Amino acid sequence: MADRAEIGKRLLLVFRDVFDDDSLEIFDAMTAEDLDEWDSVSHISLVLAVEREFGVSLNATEIGALANVGAMTDLLSDRATR
Amino acid sequence: MTAQTGTIDWASVKACAAAGDAVGAFAMLGQLARPEDDFTTQRRHARLVQRLPRQGLGLQPLKVALLAQSTTDHFAEILGLWLALAGYDAEIHQPPFGQAVQSIINPASPLYDFGADVVWMFGTWRDVGLEVTPGADADAVADAVARAVEREASLWQALRQRSDALIVQNTADIPAVDVFSHFAANVAWSHRSLLHRYNLALADSLTPGVVLFDLDHVSACHGKSRWTDPRYWHHSKHAFAFDAIGLVAHQFTQLVLGAKGRARKCLVLDLDNTLWGGVIGDDGLDGIKLGNGAAGEAFVDFQAYIRRLKDRGIILAVCSKNEDANAREPFLKHPDMRLGIDDIAVFRANWDNKADNIKAIAEALNIGLDSLVFVDDNPAERALVRRFLPMVAVPEMPEDPSHYVETLQRAHLFETVSFSKEDGERNEYYRANASRQEIRGQFADLGAYQRSLEMIGRAAAIEAFTLPRSAQLINKSNQFHLTGTRYGEAEIGDLLAQDHWAGRCFTLRDRFGDNGLIAVVLLRRDGRTAHVDTWVMSCRVLGRGMEEFIVNDMMAMARTWGCTALEGRYVPSKKNALVARLYPRLGFAEAAGPTGETRWRLNLGTAAPLVTQITPDSGP
Repeated sequence: MADRAEIGKRLLLVFRDVFDDDSLEIFDAMTAEDLDEWDSVSHISLVLAVEREFGVSLNATEIGALANVGAMTDLLSDRATR
Repeated sequence: MTAQTGTIDWASVKACAAAGDAVGAFAMLGQLARPEDDFTTQRRHARLVQRLPRQGLGLQPLKVALLAQSTTDHFAEILGLWLALAGYDAEIHQPPFGQAVQSIINPASPLYDFGADVVWMFGTWRDVGLEVTPGADADAVADAVARAVEREASLWQALRQRSDALIVQNTADIPAVDVFSHFAANVAWSHRSLLHRYNLALADSLTPGVVLFDLDHVSACHGKSRWTDPRYWHHSKHAFAFDAIGLVAHQFTQLVLGAKGRARKCLVLDLDNTLWGGVIGDDGLDGIKLGNGAAGEAFVDFQAYIRRLKDRGIILAVCSKNEDANAREPFLKHPDMRLGIDDIAVFRANWDNKADNIKAIAEALNIGLDSLVFVDDNPAERALVRRFLPMVAVPEMPEDPSHYVETLQRAHLFETVSFSKEDGERNEYYRANASRQEIRGQFADLGAYQRSLEMIGRAAAIEAFTLPRSAQLINKSNQFHLTGTRYGEAEIGDLLAQDHWAGRCFTLRDRFGDNGLIAVVLLRRDGRTAHVDTWVMSCRVLGRGMEEFIVNDMMAMARTWGCTALEGRYVPSKKNALVARLYPRLGFAEAAGPTGETRWRLNLGTAAPLVTQITPDSGP
């Protein structure tokens, strides 16, 4: 199982890259509601970037179910291969 | 300059953009971005380009309607990237999800307000909906395929009634999955066989202004087993894998360049370690690697591929650092050469730098530098040409010559949407031109030279047989193009169906050979004046008296209409300064016109035929 804090750091870089904002901060309870640009289209771009960064392949249900940053971190600390 | 050191990475592009150098960042991105990049990388590049200020990038507007029954939002973003890298500031219109067909059928749909230059009917196999009962007979199979094709053809027709856009139709991407597995190939009624038949039948049903984008081919090149990602089909109706997006976007972009007459025309080749292994000057005729063994076979293959490019109309030139006699020797004597000396339109072997030599090649052929592709195994030569002639395409060649063919193929630099008899003979025209240039030196005055050519010109109305080549010429010509108009085959057909339009095409032959169809004129009658809407001519017949021959034909046409004046316009563009003073040279007087163009009139009451050494063809 990977370190949750370490995953958080890498996830932050993914968010900043996907949403083109180098000062963006994320937190466990953060959802699409908290970020204007986080819509259904950019959500998929985000999931693809997460899949690539952490070497995971999410199933169709999980792609839609990653409702907040905490849920993503949980899933990744369980499944990340890199 | 980074282009020379080869250290372009994402951080340096980003830093360049952040420092406010949009042009520099854009140029670097052009070298960094690869169609094979994964989606996250493609999107990063696309968003950077979206944020760059447009000034200085020299992009031309292009409107693309992307009509798909599947989700294409992510794809559209990447398509914008590749169109930008090819020189287009693209606006991409996508109808709401599931509304693609309705948007074509409904005359009041936003699609028609959009005014697309290109409409891409982005269907996939799922949209074709071809299914018959296993074991169905030949009639049932033929019926089902015909119905599926008819459905697409009726949409082309509906589009054509309301839009002059180029229509690009996908072939069906035949899926890897078929319940009959290998047996599917044995029978006509299997899903896979039906889709093959559908793709072939689409090709048979094409009408002017409709071209195929071979999505099935792209999916095969990418690999059928990874072409789809069912997770994203199930989640959000993405019909093909995200990591194939760059490939599809890039190949479509190259097709658009071809359709707009901006595909490359000429391949400039290095010799040592490009066309054969080793150095001819050092290793000698017997020492170079060509044929006979694995290393030599790769070069034979590459030459054979280049030979086929030549046969489809790509002009070949040689640019090599060599003694001229050494460089020519393999072409004349080596038994395993697939290219002969006559296949090369311009041969430059010397010790000058290659940028200067390439410029000289473009001048000798009278084509733009942006028509050239330069292939050289030497990274330093490639970097030099990229640096000094950024408009020349310079593919990054692999070290192993076995991969030369696929590298050149993957760049898709020679896309076309038509093929005519002239294409296959183009290299001949250019070579013959070189011979004419030679004898031109022997004559003191131009008239004597022209008479010695024994030229015969032919003027005729544009009809079905000459329409494709005429459209091609209008869309490819930049330098000898008075008004810059661009018309597809369908548009020209529509114009010429009207009484007050006439289309004329011109051929020229001489004692060195037939130049083929080399000029096109579109005339429009307005009262007693005949207007020259479009006049294009191939630059390879410049200075032969063809302009005068054409004006004589225009005068005759205008007189049949009962016109008293012939009026031409010159609309300046980046490339047509060549013809800025054409009309006054041909005896037209300046007339009033709107700003941004000049107008020229010829009074048909007083004008006499212009002098030319070209004899009208008296044959049938």
